[in-house]
Amino acid sequence: MLDFSQPTPVVISEERQLSETRRELVLNMGPQHPSTHGVLRVRLTLEGEVVIACDPVIGYLHRGVEKLGETHRYAQVVPWTDRTDYVAAPLNNLGYVLAVEKLCGLEVPERAQYWRMIMAELSRIASHLVWLGTHALDIGALSVSLYTFRDRELILDIFEKFCGARLTTNMMEIGGFSREIPPDLPDMVRDFIRYFPSAIRQYEDLLTENPIWLARTKGIGVIEPEVAINYGLTGACLRGSGVNYDVRKANPYLLYDRVEFDVPLGTHGDVYDRYLVRVEEMRQAIRIIEQCLEQVPTDGPLMAHDSPYVIPPHKNVMRTAEDMQRHFIWVIKGFSPPKGEVYHAIEHSKGEQGYYLVSDGSPIPYRMRIRSPDFVNLQSLPYMAQGAMLADVVALIGTIDIVLGSVDR
Amino acid sequence: MEQQEHPVPAPASASRVPWQCGWWGPTDPDQHPAVQAIREHFPEAFVEATTFRDEMTIRIQREALRNVVAFLRENPALRYNHLTDITAVDMLYLREAPRFDVVVQLYSIPRRQRLRIKCGVEDGETVPSLVPIFAGANWLEREVFDMFGIVFEGHPDLRRILLPEDWDEGHPLRKDYPLRGYRDYVQPGYESPVPRIHGPLRRL
Repeated sequence: MLDFSQPTPVVISEERQLSETRRELVLNMGPQHPSTHGVLRVRLTLEGEVVIACDPVIGYLHRGVEKLGETHRYAQVVPWTDRTDYVAAPLNNLGYVLAVEKLCGLEVPERAQYWRMIMAELSRIASHLVWLGTHALDIGALSVSLYTFRDRELILDIFEKFCGARLTTNMMEIGGFSREIPPDLPDMVRDFIRYFPSAIRQYEDLLTENPIWLARTKGIGVIEPEVAINYGLTGACLRGSGVNYDVRKANPYLLYDRVEFDVPLGTHGDVYDRYLVRVEEMRQAIRIIEQCLEQVPTDGPLMAHDSPYVIPPHKNVMRTAEDMQRHFIWVIKGFSPPKGEVYHAIEHSKGEQGYYLVSDGSPIPYRMRIRSPDFVNLQSLPYMAQGAMLADVVALIGTIDIVLGSVDR
Repeated sequence: MEQQEHPVPAPASASRVPWQCGWWGPTDPDQHPAVQAIREHFPEAFVEATTFRDEMTIRIQREALRNVVAFLRENPALRYNHLTDITAVDMLYLREAPRFDVVVQLYSIPRRQRLRIKCGVEDGETVPSLVPIFAGANWLEREVFDMFGIVFEGHPDLRRILLPEDWDEGHPLRKDYPLRGYRDYVQPGYESPVPRIHGPLRRL
């Protein structure tokens, strides 16, 4: 039993006298801190206001998704991938189903691939909006978050129209989409991409030339290109340093080689450049969605049929005996991919997200490994924070764009 | 912002099949430059090279892991300069020995090609750490140590990363670790309505 009669001593920090004039202070930032985007704890060693060492402590949100992936059948893992990076759930679904399709040797109809690209790019915009709002909020620009969350609602409405869920969408299925596209969905997406460029201009009006924003972000957290590659960074953290690596361009998956878009690159590798890169990525995402809407066939199959790896179309299940049997087997026993191992990488909103699957020929994955981009990117925080001011650590955590559900898995 | 062209044009995808685009190099191991180079420079460390869905996997001896990865990075014709991932697989149900496979995924940003390096590790054996070559290996190796208990020799800071530092109940991604753990973390007097499954994982 706790004894409440005595006051509990609260230890915030440890102090160490280095010399007559120098003192070292160890300060715990988080795990419950508004600017750590979740439950990240950063153990900072300070001398005055200057950070001399920084040790991010993670694992507060560890749920063992990889272990769960080894106990569920292939199709049952898809909802779990939503819950890793919960601000960009369709992108997580996409990475997993593409890996399973590669393992099974399954080809998806063109129409489904275009709609996957549209949903992936919308999800990238939604993720960048959450990032921009919270990052600006951390540094002190409250109003941007109000605008970004207003516009993110429109994307969540599209997701809701498409699959019924807003956050944990469980949208993509192995083999394509099992539900038909709602008839008014293309118009919803068109309305959004017609409106959204003006919204980006609003954010840029608020931030890009704002002297406070420039003072807080320019020259802060510089990562040189060689260092960025050495740390294994991907996504905007790598491209902000000027290294041209975007999985969509370098190793195009889906139909990204049929659409035109640019890969924005930074020049200095600081917080401001990464901000510019992500804002430009939102514009490019709009371009991709526009071209997809032009190119996508209006009708055609959305699911690879006549394969043991995909669920039969629901309307056939109640009509034909074969599909009913296949449906039963698929749901009760799952499907067994060939023995082998695959690694499939996609360009997530935060970097390269890869799924490494090992199959032993049974209906559940023998090993499912999630290479999450922000886990690797977060390693660069000690490098950036060394010698920075305490107040800049908030900007540095924000610029990596972490979601702790994806870091800890 | 400057727009840079990619140093190498995107490989022409003659086939629309997503995994036949040449992103892992030639599918024939004898034609693959990395396999040829490892065979030539590390003949005693090379074990085998296999492909599945065009993905090239090279299995080597664990002692040579660091030297091979450093060679693949420095060789001007290969330049695998990006460490994508380090992970491990517990092969308990698939083979007798060795127990684990340590899997290293490499990527060459200039050449746009991937490569997978594997080495078998018995329980209790150590693997040379890749931190001297790639700074990004630090947390990835800590995670493998945390989840599998594989010790990386030469790692500057090998401690648990996702689990608490004082976790004393083994390494959860091993196949003999029960899905629901070894004991309940609930207050005394509470009885779980779900029965506890002890022993190895139930395979479907």
